[in-house]
Amino acid sequence: MYALGLAVRFIHLAGMTLLVGAAVAILLAGRTDRPTALRWESRVLALARALAILTLVAGLAVLAVQTANLEGRASAALDPAALARVLLETQGGHVWLVRQSFLLLLAAFLAVRWDVEHGIDWRAARGEAALLGAAALVLVGASGHAAAVEPETTRALGVDGLHLLAAGVWAGGLPPLLLLLRAAVREEGADARPYAVLAARRFSRLALACVLVLVLSGTLNAATHVATVAGLVGTTYGRLLMVKLALLLPILALAWVNRRRHLPRLGGDGATVGRPAMRRLAGFVGWEAALALLLLAVVAVMSASPPARHEAPDWPFAFRLTTATLQDAPALRTRALVGSQVAILGLVGLLASACLGAWRLALAGGALVVLAAGAGLALPALAVDAYPTTYLRPSVAYQAASIATGGALYQTNCALCHGPTGAGDGPAGRGLPRPPADLRAPHTAQHTAGDLFWWISRGIPRAQMPAFDRRLTAEERWDLVNYLRALSSGHAARGLVAGVPERPWLAAPDFSFAVGPTPARALAEYRGRRIVLVVLYALPGSRPRIDQLAQNYDVLATLGVEVIAVPVGAATDALKALGAEPRILFPVVTDGAADIEATYRLFAEAPHAEFLIDRQGYLRTISKSRGDAVALSPLLAAIQQLNEEKAPPPAPEEHVH
Amino acid sequence: MRAWKAVVLINLALVLGAGWGYLFWGIRAARLERELAVARASALSGVEREWRVDGVVRAILPEIGVLVLTHGEIGGYMPPMTMGFRAASPKITESVQPGDAVRFTLRGVPPNVAVTAIEKIP
Repeated sequence: MYALGLAVRFIHLAGMTLLVGAAVAILLAGRTDRPTALRWESRVLALARALAILTLVAGLAVLAVQTANLEGRASAALDPAALARVLLETQGGHVWLVRQSFLLLLAAFLAVRWDVEHGIDWRAARGEAALLGAAALVLVGASGHAAAVEPETTRALGVDGLHLLAAGVWAGGLPPLLLLLRAAVREEGADARPYAVLAARRFSRLALACVLVLVLSGTLNAATHVATVAGLVGTTYGRLLMVKLALLLPILALAWVNRRRHLPRLGGDGATVGRPAMRRLAGFVGWEAALALLLLAVVAVMSASPPARHEAPDWPFAFRLTTATLQDAPALRTRALVGSQVAILGLVGLLASACLGAWRLALAGGALVVLAAGAGLALPALAVDAYPTTYLRPSVAYQAASIATGGALYQTNCALCHGPTGAGDGPAGRGLPRPPADLRAPHTAQHTAGDLFWWISRGIPRAQMPAFDRRLTAEERWDLVNYLRALSSGHAARGLVAGVPERPWLAAPDFSFAVGPTPARALAEYRGRRIVLVVLYALPGSRPRIDQLAQNYDVLATLGVEVIAVPVGAATDALKALGAEPRILFPVVTDGAADIEATYRLFAEAPHAEFLIDRQGYLRTISKSRGDAVALSPLLAAIQQLNEEKAPPPAPEEHVH
Repeated sequence: MRAWKAVVLINLALVLGAGWGYLFWGIRAARLERELAVARASALSGVEREWRVDGVVRAILPEIGVLVLTHGEIGGYMPPMTMGFRAASPKITESVQPGDAVRFTLRGVPPNVAVTAIEKIP
C-alpha cells in the first residue's frame, strides 16, 4: 500500500512537472514553420495529451490512497462515502478538487486541436496550457507539508509554490528539449537545427534563473521543515533531503558543462557545423532529465514522510561540535581560534585560485591542504561525545510537577552515589573507579537533555554507573533530566541578587496552581502579559512581608505585576491561616504548592524567597530573607527596569535542551 | 472558434468563478459574523441571567456590602479572576469568612449582578 501510494504520488507530481515543462519549452522555442520543428511540436503535444490523462488518473489514485490512510483501512480507498468525506471535509480534499479541475480543464484544452494559423492564436493556446499546468502544480504545495506550517502558512505556501514552479519549468522542460535536440541532430532534421540552437540557448538562460530560485526557495523550505543539523542527519526526511541534494549536484555539474562547453559550440547553421556538439548536448540533457526524474521520485517519498521538525532525531555520530567546550578552557580556545584562522586562510586561497589563470591547480591544492589543517586543528577542540538521543526533545515539559517527581526519583535512585544535594559525594560513590559527577557543576548545562537521558537510560559502563532503562519509564527518566537541569541552573542562579535584574538567561520552571476550588492556572499564562512575583513564604516568619505586599498590591498591580504566594509545607488552609486582615487579594496557592516549593527551593534555600519573573518567563531576580518587611523600593526599581526594557528576548522553550 | 477567443473566455470564466466564489463566501461569512455579534449582544443585554460558580472568599467589605471572590469561569460573562461582587443581602456577607471555599449564585443583568446565595464547600 505504501509503495503504491508513493508510486502514484510520483506519477502525479512528475506528470504535472512535465506538463508545465512541455508547455514552457514550446513557448520558449517559439513559433516555427520548419517541418522537423513542427513535427516535434505536435509530438510533444501528443505526449502532453497522454500525460494529462495519466496525471488525472494518478490523481484519482492519490485520493484513494490518501483516503485509505486517513481512514486507517485499505477498503476505504473504494468506499464512496469515505472518499466524499475526505473530499468535502479536509483541506487536502478541497485542494485536490481544485487541482484535478485544473488538470481536467488542461486535458480538455489539450484535446482540442486549435487552429494556430495566426501568431496570437498560437501564443494563446500554448500559454494557456502552461498557465493551467502551473496552476495545478503550484497547488501541490497547498496539500503538502507547507500547508501545515504555523504560523506563517502563507509565506510557506508561497515559497513552496515558487519551488514547484521553478522545478516544473526546469526539470519538466528537459525531456521536450531532449526530443528537439534528438530530432534536429538527425541527417534529415537539418532544417530545424537553428531553431533547436535558439531553443537550447533560451532554455539555458531560463534554467539558470530557475536554479537560483530553486536554491533560494529550497533553502527557505529546509529552514522551515528541517531547521537543525540534527534534523538533517537524524531523521528520514532530513536524510531524504540529503539524497535529493546528492542527486542535484551531478545535475548541476551536467548543466554547467552544457552551458560552458556545448552551448557555445552549437553556433553556425551549416549542415554539419555544431552537429557533434549538439549530439553530445542531447546526451547530457538526457542524463540530466533522467536524474531529474529520479529526484522527483525522492521528492514523492519526502512528501509522504513527516517533516524533520516533527520527528525525534536519531543522531548518527559519536561526537558533535559545540563552542560550549571553550567556556572554561583557555588552551582549547587558543587552539580553536588558531585553527579557524588557518582554515579561513585556506578558504581565501581557494577563492583566489578560482580567479587565477595559471598556477590555479597548485594554489587550489595548497589552499585545500591549509583548509584541512585548520579544520583538523580547530574541530577536535569543539568536539564532545554525542549519543543517538543527544538531540531528542524531552517528551515531558520543564514543569514543577515533573521536576518535583524527578527530585523524588533522584533521592531514591541516584543520591546514594551522587549525594543528596547532587555534589557527587554519596556514600556508595567513594569506592568507584571514577568519582560520581558533581551534578551541580556548570558543565552539566553543556550537555544536552538528550545526553543526560542517554546516560540515565544506558548508564556509563566506564564509571560503573548503572543503566536505568529497565527500572524507570522514559517519562520518569525525563523527569530526572528536568530535575537535573533545575538543580544545576538553581546552583548557577546563586549569582542572582535582589533588586538588580540580570540579563535573561534563566528560564523559570513553569507550574500550575489553583486557588481554592477555582480551575488550575499556569505560570505560562502570564507570559507576554504580566510580570510575576512568586513568593515562597512560611508563617509566622513571613507575616510582615506578606502584609507589606498585600498593602502595596495596588502599586504592584499598577506596575503590571501579579503576585503568586506559595505557602511552604503545602497547607490547603493557607487562606484561612493568613486571616482576614490585612486583605490579601493576590492568588495564594492552595493546590500545587508542594511541587512549586520542591522546584523553587532549588533556586533559593532561605525560609522566605521571592522570585521576579519577567514577561517572557525568565527568572530575573531572587531575593532571600527571613520574611521581614524590608524597603519595597529595590523591588519596585527592578520591576520598573523590566518595564522599560526595550528589546524583550524571545521566550524560553517549553522543554529543556 | 479562434484559439485566443477561447482562451480569453476560459480565463474570464476562471476569474469570474473565483471572484464569485470569494464574494459568495465573503458575504456569507460577513452575515454569520453579524448574526453572531447580534446573538452575543442579545445574550448579554437585557436578559436576567444566573450562574453558579465555585470560588474562594478573599475579603469582606460589610460597610458597602461587597464580597471579594477569587472565582472560576463565569460562562459568557467573565473569565476566572479576583473580583468584588455586591451581596444581595447582609446575611450573605455575614455567613462566610475570608479563606472559605464557596459555591455562590450570581444573578442579574450584566454588569448589574449580585450574589444571591452562598454556601461553603469543604
